[in-house]
Amino acid sequence: MRSYSQIEGDGGSGVAGQIADLEAAIARRMAGIRHVVAVGSGKGGVGKSTLTRQLGAVLAAAGKRVGILDADMNGPSQALLHGVRNVPPLPGEEGLLLPVSREGVKVLSVGSLLAEGEALSWPSASPRHTHVWRATRELAKLAELLSAVHWGPLDVLLADLPPGPERTAQFADFLGPQTAVVLVSIPSALARGVVARSVSALGALPNRLLGYVENMSGYACAGCGTVRPLFPESEEAAELSLPCLGRVPFDPRLAALSDEGRAITEVPDAGPVAAALAETARTLFERLEEVP
Amino acid sequence: MKFLCVPCDSQMRLRATEENEPGSLSVVYECPECGYEMAMLTNQHETDMVRSLGVRIGPAAAAAIANPGMAASGEASASTGRCPFSAMLGGTTQPHTEMETAAPSGPEWTPGALARLESIPEMVRPMARAGIEMVARENGHQVIDETVLADARARFGM
Repeated sequence: MRSYSQIEGDGGSGVAGQIADLEAAIARRMAGIRHVVAVGSGKGGVGKSTLTRQLGAVLAAAGKRVGILDADMNGPSQALLHGVRNVPPLPGEEGLLLPVSREGVKVLSVGSLLAEGEALSWPSASPRHTHVWRATRELAKLAELLSAVHWGPLDVLLADLPPGPERTAQFADFLGPQTAVVLVSIPSALARGVVARSVSALGALPNRLLGYVENMSGYACAGCGTVRPLFPESEEAAELSLPCLGRVPFDPRLAALSDEGRAITEVPDAGPVAAALAETARTLFERLEEVP
Repeated sequence: MKFLCVPCDSQMRLRATEENEPGSLSVVYECPECGYEMAMLTNQHETDMVRSLGVRIGPAAAAAIANPGMAASGEASASTGRCPFSAMLGGTTQPHTEMETAAPSGPEWTPGALARLESIPEMVRPMARAGIEMVARENGHQVIDETVLADARARFGM
């Protein structure tokens, strides 16, 4: 009796070919993107999505062509953060056209497809076992979207990843070895510990780990313009063995802007936060342009 | 997965696929040499595994995926696509906001415009359709054609 590899072809559906074709289609669609950057953390609530959104706006203001991929299908926020929640993706002559923010950033987010407060449903043939397949199905849907999107030429595509060290590694792997990774942390021992786990999880992958951004690095006082500590100093905080790309203080005005779908670049004299974001974006792009 | 007819040492050919009960696929194979037929019946977990990959199962699946994300079929409805298992394959989305108020009997779609809509992923179509029909109504169009699609792209800043 012949073995599996001695029989040419597959079972008739061309499953392996379908997956290869899908991957090829995604590669074609993303061929015009100079840099893909996965922005992850491991820890939720560190301001990763807001930081991603604002870094994209700052890069766009600096003349870069920017796209945003909201890879968090369960907690999509980029459509709202970019003020395009009511803008549908549309069929164009060369593929799926995406909503564009006021700053000219193209945004792919499930948040453009769902009513606020609604979640994607993933029907399962086996009752009570949706959890078994959910992650795989999310990635399959994301792959389907990426195979259709007409990004056009971009300098940077920032992918906002869902929280969780294993998810950070999973999405970096999904986006491919050319994807660089930036991690976001805050100055707390807890967050640094989780981010350190993400570093460890990413260690098994060939992706380039550019460094980390420390968010909420102090409190930017709108009254006096100074930045004061927001978290107590901790000697137990894990040292992250990777470069720091920037430190961005917390400013309540940025949170308000985010809720309104606006960018820091729209605000004149935005203070220390704007300066920190500009410096972080500059450092990030310089690191991207360096030959690894 | 491949199937081999042991007496003939010949690879069996996928002949048909159907969902004859919820959550179970019946995949029929035949031996091209002796004509023997067998059916593989999946349980719910196996069906879910196929769904999770986002692939199509069936004799025509390989041809259907030849141009993924780009193909369009005038035979399929704009909401369901042509994959027989499309309803089983995915996360579901519905249009929202003011576009939800789209009249149940919306404008007609020309075959070309419909094919364009069907060229985008299924999960995006309801929202795209609602947005395009909203623009058609705003501009007093009864028929959605390429011109209306261009109007919609302009309206939404694309």
